Amino acid sequence: MKPFTFFFFFLLLSCDSYEVVQIKVEVPAEILVPEQMIYIPAGDFIMGHEEEPRTHLGKLVSSAAYFIDRYEVSHAKYKKIQPNHTFSPKSALYPVTHLSYFEALDYCKALDKRLPTEIEWEKAARGTDGRKWPWKLYVDHPNNGFSGFMSEPVDKRKEWISPYGVYGMGHNVWEWIDEVYTYPGQPENESELFKVIRGGLLQTHITIKFSPSYFRNWMKPDSKLNFIGFRCAKDVE
Amino acid sequence: MKHENRNKGAKEKNNSVFKFVRRDFFKLISFAGISSILPNVASAKDDFRNDKNIPKKYIQNRDIPGFHIRSANPFMGVDMGNWGLSIGGMVKNPVAMSYEDLFGMKMVSQVSRLKCVECWSAKAKWEGFHFSELVEKLQPDATAKFVYIQSADSYYESFTLEELLRPRVLFVLRMDGQPLSRDHGYPLRLIAPFKYGYKNIKYITSIKFLDIRKRNYWSNSGPYSVDGTIQPGIDHPLDFDKKPLPINGGEVFHFFDKRPLA
Repeated sequence: MKPFTFFFFFLLLSCDSYEVVQIKVEVPAEILVPEQMIYIPAGDFIMGHEEEPRTHLGKLVSSAAYFIDRYEVSHAKYKKIQPNHTFSPKSALYPVTHLSYFEALDYCKALDKRLPTEIEWEKAARGTDGRKWPWKLYVDHPNNGFSGFMSEPVDKRKEWISPYGVYGMGHNVWEWIDEVYTYPGQPENESELFKVIRGGLLQTHITIKFSPSYFRNWMKPDSKLNFIGFRCAKDVE
Repeated sequence: MKHENRNKGAKEKNNSVFKFVRRDFFKLISFAGISSILPNVASAKDDFRNDKNIPKKYIQNRDIPGFHIRSANPFMGVDMGNWGLSIGGMVKNPVAMSYEDLFGMKMVSQVSRLKCVECWSAKAKWEGFHFSELVEKLQPDATAKFVYIQSADSYYESFTLEELLRPRVLFVLRMDGQPLSRDHGYPLRLIAPFKYGYKNIKYITSIKFLDIRKRNYWSNSGPYSVDGTIQPGIDHPLDFDKKPLPINGGEVFHFFDKRPLA
């Protein structure tokens, strides 16, 4: 076997062999988990990062139990609630985009769900151990060198799932969060202006990087852009 | 901004088919304002270049302080004696417009950044008109959801109709209180502040409404997206000494920029 071939074969093996260790969650017997949602148990987790002043600074934060969608909402799913929504048949499993915060919220409400809070989103993305990326280890983004955004089917990247088994928390589209973007020292004229979006990619024309699980992005709620989608959450009753 | 005039990769070329018709025609209709005309005339086929013999050592791309100039290849400007804007495709009322006609549109001004895919951004006051005014006059077919724009330097761009109807998108005639300069797209350019500079096509000659999405120049020439929406990341604004500042994606506003009220 030539050295290059061996190296490539080794790379393939390396990629295939990595799996995100999952947190073992016991769902109480009386709780019925809705289809394609994941049960996140109550408890503490590390939120934010100590060197990022606009985050929760790596402190322990507690959450109640809740459900969150396993996948970002796809075009096909969105069309079930909004029949006039159009998309290429090839895009059925890709995340729906170009929707405002309000349209995302309406979709979730129609299913008796809601948009996640920041606490819920971040806990589902990074588990309890304070990891920087949902899958823990650093990896290069495979599309470096492309100046644009290419989404992927919502169920494509099993190697990048979170410790709770949630897909797309560190790549694919950014996601609308049901919270106003605030931070210490924020100018008054910015207060109430933006909603939080979480979990996409940071890029220039030559590099694409995964944003850390604690990274908080912001966007005017009426924005409709190609890199913003969403998923829903739900209370455990 | 990576606006261009590179022949390699340019799928749409402007050929001299209607030149003798168009030159007199645009003079004629400039008296009548925006007019419906014969459908076959509303297509860009001329060679609008001011100088077809570009000097071999001519340098188009220059890092001019305040606002860099970007083109894929040298372009010496538009021959205004021959220039006209044709708007057609899947519309009820195709039109051809002269430069004078464009000033009959309702002028709107805005301050916005042009964010180059090469990381820098620059701010200017732009004056122009909203695409909605054209759409109202042309009455595109309900299936014509896409718009294809060509320029005098063989560049071409592609948008959804919805994108061009956004309130911050302008077809621009003036920059910082002056008619557009040759380097910045005289006589007519697009400013779509939520798109990278390469989407902001200069020297526009033709606008077509289509029911399919065509590709754009740079996506046919390199690893550039057709969509071209500004992504979350880092900007290096020229009016902030190119120091890195985070951007959230879409139109760029820094902490020292004034946001529009609406």
